[in-house]
Amino acid sequence: MGRRIEHALLGWLEEGRTRLGQIAVRRDGDFFELRHLDDADATALDDYCSPEDALEIARWDAAGKYRPLKTAPTLRAGWRLRLRTAAELVLALEYFYPAMLASCLAAREKRLSVTPLRDTLARQSGMYAITRQATVEDAEAVIGRRCASDGGCLKTILWPVEDAPPRGLPPEKFALEREADVIPLPCAEGCNLLVAAIRRHLKRIQA
Amino acid sequence: MVHKPDSALIILGHGSTVNPDSDVPTFAHAAEIRRRRCFGEVTCAFWKEEPSFRQVLLTVESDDIYLVPNFVSEGYFTQKIIPREMELAGPITELGGRMLKYCEPVGNHPQMTDVLLRRARETAPGVPTAETSLVIVGHGTSLNENSGAAVKRQVEEIARRGEYGEVIGAFMEEVPFVTDWRSLTTCPHVVAVPFFIADGEHSYQDIPVLLGIETEPTEAASRRDVFRRNPHAIDGRQLYYASSIGTEPFIADVILEQVARFDEEHAAVPA
Repeated sequence: MGRRIEHALLGWLEEGRTRLGQIAVRRDGDFFELRHLDDADATALDDYCSPEDALEIARWDAAGKYRPLKTAPTLRAGWRLRLRTAAELVLALEYFYPAMLASCLAAREKRLSVTPLRDTLARQSGMYAITRQATVEDAEAVIGRRCASDGGCLKTILWPVEDAPPRGLPPEKFALEREADVIPLPCAEGCNLLVAAIRRHLKRIQA
Repeated sequence: MVHKPDSALIILGHGSTVNPDSDVPTFAHAAEIRRRRCFGEVTCAFWKEEPSFRQVLLTVESDDIYLVPNFVSEGYFTQKIIPREMELAGPITELGGRMLKYCEPVGNHPQMTDVLLRRARETAPGVPTAETSLVIVGHGTSLNENSGAAVKRQVEEIARRGEYGEVIGAFMEEVPFVTDWRSLTTCPHVVAVPFFIADGEHSYQDIPVLLGIETEPTEAASRRDVFRRNPHAIDGRQLYYASSIGTEPFIADVILEQVARFDEEHAAVPA
């Protein structure tokens, strides 16, 4: 993570973009402070001070279940992470929401390359080769469950299935810049979890 | 010593959608290398987690980028998946004005033999090695004939040193199968070392079932109070099962060694 992302992030915070996924970022004297949005007014929080602590906070949900998808809306509350430098802040946010600051910067600079889901599935091999057979309807059935912001994933979908966005999700799921105080989470390509879910769907209906 | 303040290092791992411990060594080695400040940027990318191999190049800003696969073997992932996902043309790829330098996986490094032997000795301290069968356990796959090659190389090298009564390789998904360890080995003591990167789903949960240590997969390693107690008395033999070799902190040095080796082998490439 380099200086351009640090510089962009500091600019966004200056603009008042202080929310990222389920996290609120604020300046506290010489520190940057991160906490869960649900903890806005909380005082009894567990204190952390290293960017690596973000890895562990992000690894488990409130019930102690592993979170393979870091942009799932299951970040646990109850913690406060105080960091000294912009570099530490970028690293912590990279652990909380991998590749999202860089994707956001690339999207704002109109250089984020977007891959249709059909292309993602077409290049799969091995255990995922079966997903090449998915119809648009198969893909949409899975996307409707796995990518929905309530329970699935908080990212904003930028990719089409083939030449149109997936049907069945609300319009705001595809709108990147919709709130002035938010650093958006752009999804430029279907992730491995989605591909794996499409595989399971196909296996199930073909059984 | 590697000192590349204008370069980025990306450590490429497998990751997991089901096991919380799979990415832990990769992140730990990255944090250690970051602490040493030998690269301008250090980050990780994964096949099954994010940042993905597809996303990660966005996150680094250097034009000179070293990619080191934190994989134990040259095989399906290092030869097919990573090059495909990252659009690599070979060891050196020029992509949008940036130079991508694709190093060999950590498992190919000659020092892995010492890492493996150290792990075997620590797992069965005081047990006479001449009366011990050392089983190096790999994944193996029909998807790529090279997948088991790293384990087979280790078997040859350690057997050549003559320290252990016998040395064999065994696999989850190709012959000889790890489930057959009783017939594959003859010594009263058996030390099985998983030639894996993490104490993840395969090495911590699947292989103990294949060995007969567990009847069904346990919870993930990080969810248990005790890692595992050795030895396990099975069919009149004393079986010791090790933690994966990729969890050795020394792997951070192996990653840097792979960068140095890349530079030696491609000396004409501009930095």
